[in-house]
Amino acid sequence: MKTDKNKKLKVGVYGITGCSGCQLSIIFNEEEILDLLSLIDLKAFPFIKELNIDEEFDCIILEGLVANKGDLEILRKLRRNSKMLVSLGACACTGCVPAYRHFTLKENYEHLLYKKQEELQDVEPSPHDEHVKVDYYIPGCPPDKKEILRFIKGSVRGVLPRPHQNPVCIECRRNGNACLLDEGKPCLGPITTGGCNAVCINGGFECWGCRGPTKDMNLDLMIKMLRDRGFDDRFIQDRMRTFVGLKLPMLERVMQGPKSKVLQTRFDGEKKFYE
Amino acid sequence: MQVLRLEKKRLNHFLNVVKKGFELIAPVKSDLVRFSKIHHAEEIQLTKNSYFPVKEYFFRKEETLFQFEGTRITVPAYEAKKRVFFGIRRCDLNAIKNQDIVFIRDMGDPYYKAARENSYLLGYHCNTAPSPYCFCGSLDLVDFFDLMFFDKEDHFLVEVGSEKGKSLTEKYQEFFTDSQRLITRNEKTIPGVHRLENKDISRFYDHQDWKKGADICLSCGACTTLCPTCYCFEIHDEVKTADPVKGERKREWSSCQLQEFTRVAGDHIFRKEREDRFKHRIYHQLQYFKEKYGVQMCVGCGRCIEGCPTRIDFVRILNEMKNGKTENNG
Repeated sequence: MKTDKNKKLKVGVYGITGCSGCQLSIIFNEEEILDLLSLIDLKAFPFIKELNIDEEFDCIILEGLVANKGDLEILRKLRRNSKMLVSLGACACTGCVPAYRHFTLKENYEHLLYKKQEELQDVEPSPHDEHVKVDYYIPGCPPDKKEILRFIKGSVRGVLPRPHQNPVCIECRRNGNACLLDEGKPCLGPITTGGCNAVCINGGFECWGCRGPTKDMNLDLMIKMLRDRGFDDRFIQDRMRTFVGLKLPMLERVMQGPKSKVLQTRFDGEKKFYE
Repeated sequence: MQVLRLEKKRLNHFLNVVKKGFELIAPVKSDLVRFSKIHHAEEIQLTKNSYFPVKEYFFRKEETLFQFEGTRITVPAYEAKKRVFFGIRRCDLNAIKNQDIVFIRDMGDPYYKAARENSYLLGYHCNTAPSPYCFCGSLDLVDFFDLMFFDKEDHFLVEVGSEKGKSLTEKYQEFFTDSQRLITRNEKTIPGVHRLENKDISRFYDHQDWKKGADICLSCGACTTLCPTCYCFEIHDEVKTADPVKGERKREWSSCQLQEFTRVAGDHIFRKEREDRFKHRIYHQLQYFKEKYGVQMCVGCGRCIEGCPTRIDFVRILNEMKNGKTENNG
C-alpha cells in the first residue's frame, strides 16, 4: 500500500517504567522491520531513534507501567496527543511483576529500595488502564513479536486484529506438547490467554500466566487442580499473582470459597512440592 | 476379503522396504506416543495407541487455503506426498472414514482429498484394549482399511480391505503367503472394560448430570484437539508487511469448547455457558452427526478422557444418567 507520507499512520513508541524488552520485541521482527518502517510514519521511538518528533500521533505504543509521578505525566500527555493508545506488554496491560508489591508487606521490600527513593516520588505501581483509556492491549512478557506486527498492519488497514481469547492450551496441544499438569507441574495454561504459541511449554517450562486470565476461565477448578497436585495455597496465590495479580481481584475469595475444595477431579500422577 | 500371512520377524524388513518407496508414518514413543515419520522400522512401537490422533496428516493443523492480491486469488498446489501409514487402530481408521464423509463426500475439500488419495492405511488390530478409557466395543465400528494386521503370536494375518491394499501386497509379494483362512467376527471385537451403555442420548438434554462434567471443565480444548474425528476450524487472513493488499488465507484447528468459537458479528456468543459447550460436543459426537450422515461420529478411542487434565469421563456421566442416578457417588 503506497500512500504519500502525509497520509501514513503517525506512530510513536515510548516506554515508561519497564525493562524495555517489549520495545525490543518490535525490533526483533528483523526480516520485516524495513517493510514496517515504509508502511508507517514512525515519528518517535526514543529507544532506537535519535530524532524524535513529539507532536500529534495517530497511534502511541507504550511499554511499561506507572511507578512514579513522572510516568503518570508522560502517560497522560501521550494519551492527550494521540488518537489511539496501545498498552504493550504485561507491565502495561496487567502490572506484571512490579505490581506484585500490592500483595506483599512493605517491610519485605523496603530494604531493597534505592536510597534516594524520595526523589523518585513513587506511586502505587499500576497498569495504564487504571489512569487513562486504553484502546488496545498487546499482552505478554515479552509480547509476541508477530502479534505486534499484526496489530500495526491491522491499524494501517483500519481493521484491528481480534484480541486472543482462547487459553494457552489450544496452541499447546496443537503443538503436540505433553500436558504439564499431568506431570504434576503447576501450569497456568488453562486459565491464561493464548496468542504466545505456548512458547514456554514448548520449551518444557510451565505457563505462569503472563498474558492475563481468559474471560472464560474456571478459576475454582484451576485452584482445585493445583491443590490436588500438592501445592499449598500460599504457593498457588503467589504464582497466580506474579504476572497478573491486579487482574485477579477475586482470587482470595475464590480460594476460600467452597467450590474450589470439593470439585471431583482425577490426577494419577506423582505429587510434587515446589519451593 | 483375502487374508495373507506375514511372519513377525519379517515385519521390520517389510516396513524398511516400504519406506524406500513411500514416506512411512507410524507410532513412535518419545515423551508420549505419536505418529511420526519413520527412519528405521525398529523405532515403531505397537504396545500403546498414539496419544495424538493421526488426523493431522490429512486435516492439517494449519493450512494455507489460498494466496490473494487484492481480489485475485492463487490456489497453492496440493501436497501429493505418497505416504504409507502403519499401526493405525480400528478406532482411528473409523475416524478417518468419518472425516472422509465430511471433507470428501460432503465438502469436496481438495486439500484433505489430495492427502487422503495419496495415503495407504495399514491398520494394526488391538488384541486387548490399549487404554483403560477406550470403549470402541460400544460403538458400531466397521472394517475400513487398505490392509489390516492381526497380531498372532509369531505371525501377522493381513486382511486386504481395498484395491489400494491389494496393489501394495502385490508390489511386495515376496513378504506374504496365503493364510488359507478368513478372519472371524470374533477376532475383530476388541475386549475392553469401559463401555458406553447408552448411545441414544436424545432424551437427556435437560438432565442435571451434565453439570458434573461442565463443573470440572477448564474449556482448554484438549478433548477436541486429541479427538480423531473433531474437524472444527477457524479461518483468518495473514497479510504481508511490505504490501498489506497481498496475503494468505489460512485455516487452523479450533474447538467447540471455546467461547470464542461461537462468537459472531455483533459480539453475540451462542454457547456462552460451559455446560452448553460440553453438551454440544457430546451431542455432536453421538447424535447430530448421526442425524446428518447416518453414523455416530465418536469412535470410542477414549482420548478425550485420557487427555483431559481433569479426566472428565463423559461415558460414565452418560451411563449414570441411564441408571437414573443423579447424585455424585464417587
